[in-house]
Amino acid sequence: MSVHSNPVVSVRGLSKSFVGKTVVSGVTFDLFAGEALALVGENGAGKSTTKNMLCGLLTPTTGTILVNGQTVPKVIGAEHGISAVHQELSLFGSLSVAENICISDLPGAKMRVDWAAAERIAQEQIAFLGIEIDARALVETLGAGKQQIVEIAKALLHASKVLILDEPTTSLTAVEREKLFVIIDKLKARGLAIVFISHFMEEIYRVCDSFVALRDGCQVGQGRLAEVSQRSLEEMMVGRTLEDARVNLAAPSQTPALEVRGLSSSDFKDINLTVHRGEILGIAGLMGAGRTEIAEAIFGLRAAVGEVRIDGKAVPRDVSAMMASGLCYVTEDRRKNGLFLNRPVRENLSAAHIAGFVQRKLRGFGFRGEKARAHDLVSDMNISVPHIENNVSDLSGGNQQKVMLGRWLATNPEILIFDEPTKGVDIGAKFDIHEKIAALAATGKAIIIVSSDLPELLHITHRMLVMRKGRIVGEFLRSDFDSVKIISLAASSNEGGQDAA
Amino acid sequence: MQPKRLQTIVSRQKWVAIAVATIVLAGVLSVVSPVFLTLSNFQAILVQSSVTAIMAVGMTFIILTAGIDISVGAILFVTSALFAQLMLVTGNYALAFSVTLISATVLGLLNGLLVVRFAVSPLITTLATYSIYRGAAIHLTGAQNIPVPREMGFLGNGRLWGIPVPILVLIVIVIIGVYILNHTRLGVYARAIGNSDRSARETSLPVARITVLVYALSGFMAGVAGLILLARVGGLQSGIGIGIEFTVIAAVILGGTKLTGGSGTIVGSVIGAVFLVLIDNGLNLLNASPYIYDMVRGAVLMAAVAIDRYSAFRQSVVLEARREARIVD
Repeated sequence: MSVHSNPVVSVRGLSKSFVGKTVVSGVTFDLFAGEALALVGENGAGKSTTKNMLCGLLTPTTGTILVNGQTVPKVIGAEHGISAVHQELSLFGSLSVAENICISDLPGAKMRVDWAAAERIAQEQIAFLGIEIDARALVETLGAGKQQIVEIAKALLHASKVLILDEPTTSLTAVEREKLFVIIDKLKARGLAIVFISHFMEEIYRVCDSFVALRDGCQVGQGRLAEVSQRSLEEMMVGRTLEDARVNLAAPSQTPALEVRGLSSSDFKDINLTVHRGEILGIAGLMGAGRTEIAEAIFGLRAAVGEVRIDGKAVPRDVSAMMASGLCYVTEDRRKNGLFLNRPVRENLSAAHIAGFVQRKLRGFGFRGEKARAHDLVSDMNISVPHIENNVSDLSGGNQQKVMLGRWLATNPEILIFDEPTKGVDIGAKFDIHEKIAALAATGKAIIIVSSDLPELLHITHRMLVMRKGRIVGEFLRSDFDSVKIISLAASSNEGGQDAA
Repeated sequence: MQPKRLQTIVSRQKWVAIAVATIVLAGVLSVVSPVFLTLSNFQAILVQSSVTAIMAVGMTFIILTAGIDISVGAILFVTSALFAQLMLVTGNYALAFSVTLISATVLGLLNGLLVVRFAVSPLITTLATYSIYRGAAIHLTGAQNIPVPREMGFLGNGRLWGIPVPILVLIVIVIIGVYILNHTRLGVYARAIGNSDRSARETSLPVARITVLVYALSGFMAGVAGLILLARVGGLQSGIGIGIEFTVIAAVILGGTKLTGGSGTIVGSVIGAVFLVLIDNGLNLLNASPYIYDMVRGAVLMAAVAIDRYSAFRQSVVLEARREARIVD
């Protein structure tokens, strides 16, 4: 452990609100040269927002950032020596490695770029990182691991003080990951402060010296990693609030409604699962574990191989066949993939069942019973909207989600797959939606909930499957639910027997 | 190893494909017609393509940033009108030339500013300015034909050191374009912005400034092209520049520049412009009806786009397969 002098960067009471909604509040920590700080928390805990304020992509609402003891209103990455490697790489595929690395500070005279110098600089950076890459190669021709190295080299050019790494290992193989850790050690030895964001506990303990834990935008803990066990760190991240207040669910039947056998694609491998009538099955896992992909593949939105059986009968994986068999899928991204935002609530509610309203006598002219059904659904789902002719875009997130739900309920489905059913909705609507889902299960519907909100799954499911890197790696019954076990299973960097590379 | 290398060259230097197509077409035409394979015919083809080729150099920069400019033909028309009018009134070449080129640049700059300011699709923005610029020119000239002085003919039909002047101008423009694209920040940034707008913003590149500059550059090129066209035709006619934006954009796309931005070459665009003239030339040699020219041009462009989509698809399949292989091993 290095002797602490003055922190290179200090963060004091950093907060950020978007249109009145606070996403990060009161984050406070110090960064020291030669040390790595882990920023830990669940999906949506505020890690990315904190990162973006630290590297200057966002301006804090309140709070201060001190660089070398001096307050700066907003970080300007290049000026203050702070730079970030974002989870989604900010590279230019059709440009060469040298062009990418040097792009924000090209060498040469005012008009002319000195390409020889740029290639030399790039080659030096890459050589320092200990990887062989041709500086003239186009970035799009490189593999994910090498692209990640190029991104780091690019960030390093401006990171004289702090380098932020956001989930840098998600696209890497085990070997590449180990190489990256060696690089991080080198950078620490060079006197850089590192901010390391990761879901993987092993990586955090391997790389970092201290930690800051976030939950729901608040700082819930900080300290030296040597003084905290993995289990207590995970408990900090998950929290225990919702877990204790589970709803009472009716017991499920033993009749299978949906069976998935050997479903595989490029995003997931060999998925087998069964949902019974009256049962709520949760699918947990980190972002990128393949949860949404599975749901979409079952519904026929995504190419895959494998069998899907409904009530014991094999059904082709095709959206209209699935809908005809009583399956429905409520998308994760309601604004983009689900709702017709600038159309009225009425049309959004009837969209999935429009054939049911078509006039019989004068075929195709007008819709019968559509309004009445829309009124029923609005009151049934407790949607607060002034009128069914209002556009869906006027509604709050929670009410929009209820419209989505109502649309699918209009088709009288037997099996419902919900992808992030309460993402971006307020607490009240969340409660309503949970209650509705529990009531649906009680009437014998089979339900799958895909969610990154672990407390939600603990709260409302009978049974939970845990996914990691495209595979199901664990199953928990409600009586055995243990948030810490689930999260460590989902975030283990052990590849689950997938490969031994 | 040899075929792999060749493939790399073709995929990196996208102009190779159009160059091969042009040589093949020229070969076919030289078999069909004995006059084709003469120096004077080659010069004639280059002179004919010079106007669109010069504009294609400017358009390449715009398309590299994933933009488009429909108004280049209108800029050409309005600045030609301005030149003709100024020559008529003042007879001062220096004044007329500088006012023409400056106003062409300013009109392009205006396009760029509007695209950046309103963040509307450049297609719609420049469609609007197309109408405005052309309308302004017709208003300015009262839709009349205006002759230019005889000496202007030198710029269109004259020769210097035995080479037609339009070809010399084209060579200078190509050298300037290649230099800007490959050796200046403007060029790198233009390619970068078109490749990934998000990355460009995260890297804090001056996206707005570069966007405005490429439209201004294209405006300037349209001004130069307008002067040559005016010189070749001998005066302003109200039909000048109508539909030329199609030929210019087609030349750039045929030359291998991706419509989605990020990759392309100046040389490819120029060869694309020559290719389009060769097609006209071929149809002419075949005594085809002039009414089918547009149909053939459209079909050629459609084919080029289809081939481009197919090769992009193939490339993505190959990359995907490589990633798959990485996961397995």
